[in-house]
Amino acid sequence: MLFWIVAALLTFGACVSVLLPFMRHTPAAAPDSAFDLMIYKDQLAEVERDHARGLIGRAEAEQARNEIARRILKADQTKDEIAGRTGAAGRWLAMIAVLSVPLVSWGVYAATGSPDQPSQPLEARKQQNPADSPVNDLIARAEAHLQANPRDGNGWEVLAPIYLRIGRANDSVTAYRNAIEYLGSTPQRESGLGEAYVNVADGMISPDAKAAFTRALAAEPKDGKARFYLALGDAQEDRLEEAKAAWRAMQADLPDNSSWKGAATAALAQAGEMQTEQAASTQPNPSAADIDNASSMTAEDRTAMIEGMVASLDAKLKDNPNDQQGWERLIRSYTVLGKPDEARDALERGTAALGNTTREAAALQAFAATVGISEASKQ
Amino acid sequence: MVELGHFALVLAFALSLVQSTIPIVGSQKNDARLMAVAGPVAVAVFTLIAASFLVLTWAYVVSDFSVRNVFENSHSMKPTLYKITGTWGNHEGSMLLWVLILSLFSALVAAFGRNLPATLKTNALAVQGWVASAFLLFILATSNPFTRLVPAPFEGQDLNPILQDIGLAIHPPLLYLGYVGFSVSFSFAVAALIEGRIDAAWARWVRPWTLAAWIFLTGGIAMGSYWAYYELGWGGFWFWDPVENASFMPWLAGTALLHSALVMEKRSALKIWTVLLAIMTFSLSLLGTFLVRSGVLTSVHAFATDPARGVFILVILSLFVGGSFALFAFRAPSLTAGGVFQPISREGSLVLNNLFLTTATATVLIGTLYPLLVEAVSGDKISVGAPFFNLTFGPLMIPLLALVPFGPLLAWKRGDLYAAAQRLAWALGGAILATLVVMIFVDRTMLFAALGIGLAVWLFLGAITDIALRSGFGNTSFSNMRRRFFGLPRSAHGAALAHLGLGVALLGIVATTAFQSEHIVALKPGETTDIAGRNLRFERLVPHQGPNYTEDQAVFTLISGNREIGSVSSAKRLYTARRMPTTEAGILTRGFSQLYVALGDPTPDGGIVVRIWWKPMVTMIWLGPLLMMIGGILSISDRRLRIGAPARRKAVLAPQPAE
Repeated sequence: MLFWIVAALLTFGACVSVLLPFMRHTPAAAPDSAFDLMIYKDQLAEVERDHARGLIGRAEAEQARNEIARRILKADQTKDEIAGRTGAAGRWLAMIAVLSVPLVSWGVYAATGSPDQPSQPLEARKQQNPADSPVNDLIARAEAHLQANPRDGNGWEVLAPIYLRIGRANDSVTAYRNAIEYLGSTPQRESGLGEAYVNVADGMISPDAKAAFTRALAAEPKDGKARFYLALGDAQEDRLEEAKAAWRAMQADLPDNSSWKGAATAALAQAGEMQTEQAASTQPNPSAADIDNASSMTAEDRTAMIEGMVASLDAKLKDNPNDQQGWERLIRSYTVLGKPDEARDALERGTAALGNTTREAAALQAFAATVGISEASKQ
Repeated sequence: MVELGHFALVLAFALSLVQSTIPIVGSQKNDARLMAVAGPVAVAVFTLIAASFLVLTWAYVVSDFSVRNVFENSHSMKPTLYKITGTWGNHEGSMLLWVLILSLFSALVAAFGRNLPATLKTNALAVQGWVASAFLLFILATSNPFTRLVPAPFEGQDLNPILQDIGLAIHPPLLYLGYVGFSVSFSFAVAALIEGRIDAAWARWVRPWTLAAWIFLTGGIAMGSYWAYYELGWGGFWFWDPVENASFMPWLAGTALLHSALVMEKRSALKIWTVLLAIMTFSLSLLGTFLVRSGVLTSVHAFATDPARGVFILVILSLFVGGSFALFAFRAPSLTAGGVFQPISREGSLVLNNLFLTTATATVLIGTLYPLLVEAVSGDKISVGAPFFNLTFGPLMIPLLALVPFGPLLAWKRGDLYAAAQRLAWALGGAILATLVVMIFVDRTMLFAALGIGLAVWLFLGAITDIALRSGFGNTSFSNMRRRFFGLPRSAHGAALAHLGLGVALLGIVATTAFQSEHIVALKPGETTDIAGRNLRFERLVPHQGPNYTEDQAVFTLISGNREIGSVSSAKRLYTARRMPTTEAGILTRGFSQLYVALGDPTPDGGIVVRIWWKPMVTMIWLGPLLMMIGGILSISDRRLRIGAPARRKAVLAPQPAE
């Protein structure tokens, strides 16, 4: 609001500067030749001074005087002085000029300015209550801190799971690796690193991920996350029986309050379904069989299959829209397929489904931003 | 706040459009009110641009990274001084500084031009308005410094480390005050052409403005040269780099303009030529702006390359240069040419000065543009460097410098060359003596260097002769002479001082180029090497942490005979944000000479490569321009440049008898 008031005052001041000569008595101006005469008289005086001081001789002074006198005679003294009154045409012109100032300035500013953006001095932003800052600001602050102190393992450890949650899996891998490098290896950090790798590989248990989980298990054989993902890796490599055995073991020896026990139960149920129905396309992640199929297909077939999977995911989200990770997968899939418009559409639908102001919707937008999709970039 | 700065800039653009049109209509319709619009509007435009510039500076000081320009060119850890100077250490900010100074000059003309003929002043302000509108449009359309960045990052990308120096606080503002200051002479020239009325008085109106721009440009170029000398670590002071040339060409043309305006004022001659020079000088300034800002050239000055900007400036350039030359071609035939005059006279010598200076300008122009043309036509990258300029510019300067002392000694209209030569005999004797001393006692193999030093001595003895003769040396008693010395017009002192400064600068250039000694050696702490008859001991290498850089500082002690005469430290810096290394040269000044130490790479055995120069008389290169500036300031303070305005009464307009 203050901006608009000050802007209006500035505009008013600018208009006044145009009107100033019309608001007060403007005397008629002397014609230009009068000004020239002043110069010539001054030149004459200078010749006299130089002559009096002996800087120039008598003959020289005489010559100079004659020359200046000729200039004075030549100066056009017939011209009238410049009138201090303005005719009707002139007044109209002044009116147009005054009006053009607000029109041009507000018009151009409307095209180039961003009046809603407040100034953001760094100190003020730093003093803001962290709870009020958007999550991106917090991350940026932590990043700035780590840029200055790259060996601060604790900082990396804090940042790593946050990266993972907002979908910046690659950054999460870097953060976990830095935390391990500076603070040493622990089962939690290794299994976190493994999870980050899994996210980088879009749900596949990559060799890097497997190595990290194995290191975690070596130090802590009961680590739920590592056991779950290793079993999932077995399942992805078509060793379903081994995977089911591992999940069953988890059901048996993990405490009831462990979230991984629940995950193992769900995975077992899904694995049973999978064996009976043999319906690969309803799984959250493509099975090894799908991948085998995909690698032996032609490019068109492969695209068709992927598009089919994406379409089924899209359909599933229409029925069950309250699934933030599902929306993330959909947005990423569309981006990978080179369909940014569909990705944006998915972002909009996802945001709407999750409720515009919820934390999940914010996280979804943050994730979308990391793959280069935002609602604003639509135009 | 930031947005208000943006809005003020837009408003300044809208007002500039008014400044470009209304006053000129007024002067055509002979309407004093419409004409009077120019003054307050010019002041308002300046106030708005200044406000806008202050807001941008404030955004830099408080590290508001929601402004893209600040994010791209600043860093929260940067010292406050460099946060402020960083405002113009980038393309957008420097263009804003450009228009700020342009509007400053318009406002000065509006505020202090009370003694100017109304039509001339009004039209000149309108022409200033055209230039301002064009460049404000350029800024708003292609280089807006107020573009926002959402969400705002938490840290900026830092300023180019080479620019993080006190030099950035002085060099660009001074240079722009010079570059852009010539816009006033340009506007006066175009205004006079529009009116079709050019007389001897015009030269007097333009003179203080030309002089002011010339003083600033002299300072800006000298400062830039000293900055490059100590910051880039190459030990050179002038590289004939296209960007340097871009500032040097307006200086040469501006110097010619200063001298030709003298002839016009005194003798009503060279009128058309002087107007053409005024147009040419500012055109060269615009060309310089185009070369530097378009990204055609790659250098430390080219902050960003964006073809759209280049094309935009090229359009502005062709519009103003083409337009003013077309106007000139249209009007010139109707202007009355001045009378003929004797070749041996003050005006004759000034014409000679103009011939040499404009030819030299043309030479530099060819050397600067030729590589660009070749690249455009054939795609080959060639570089025209020192050898070309030494062979072309040098030979043009030698006769000019040799003739400088004669000029002030010749009378207007009919000079006596023989008498002038007689009076200069002792200066010539001094010059020959200096040449012989250098030949015999310094180095017998360097004839040209000895002659160069002789020429420098000739220049400053010539300047002293001029002042001594005007004070009545040899004709009158000492006390009388003193009275006359102080009674001389300040412009006489100014001219002599500027010519003296020329000699001082030449002495520095010749002595440094011919007699400097350079030594490259690998040193370990505690080791000693010798340079120009002195010893330099490498004491130690200390790591040091600056606000936004880390550096290894090497400390040296200079020893002459058995006495330690000074300590100097040189450093290699690494700026952390951009991971960019710089060399901080160590400089120790002894008298007029300097020891210059730059660090190279470390050697495997724990030493470090050190480049050491002994540069005799090197500071004179920059003291000379300083003297020229002081001369210019003396000249501009001459009371003859302050003529009162005629009273607005009919009585004044009655024909005046020649007194």
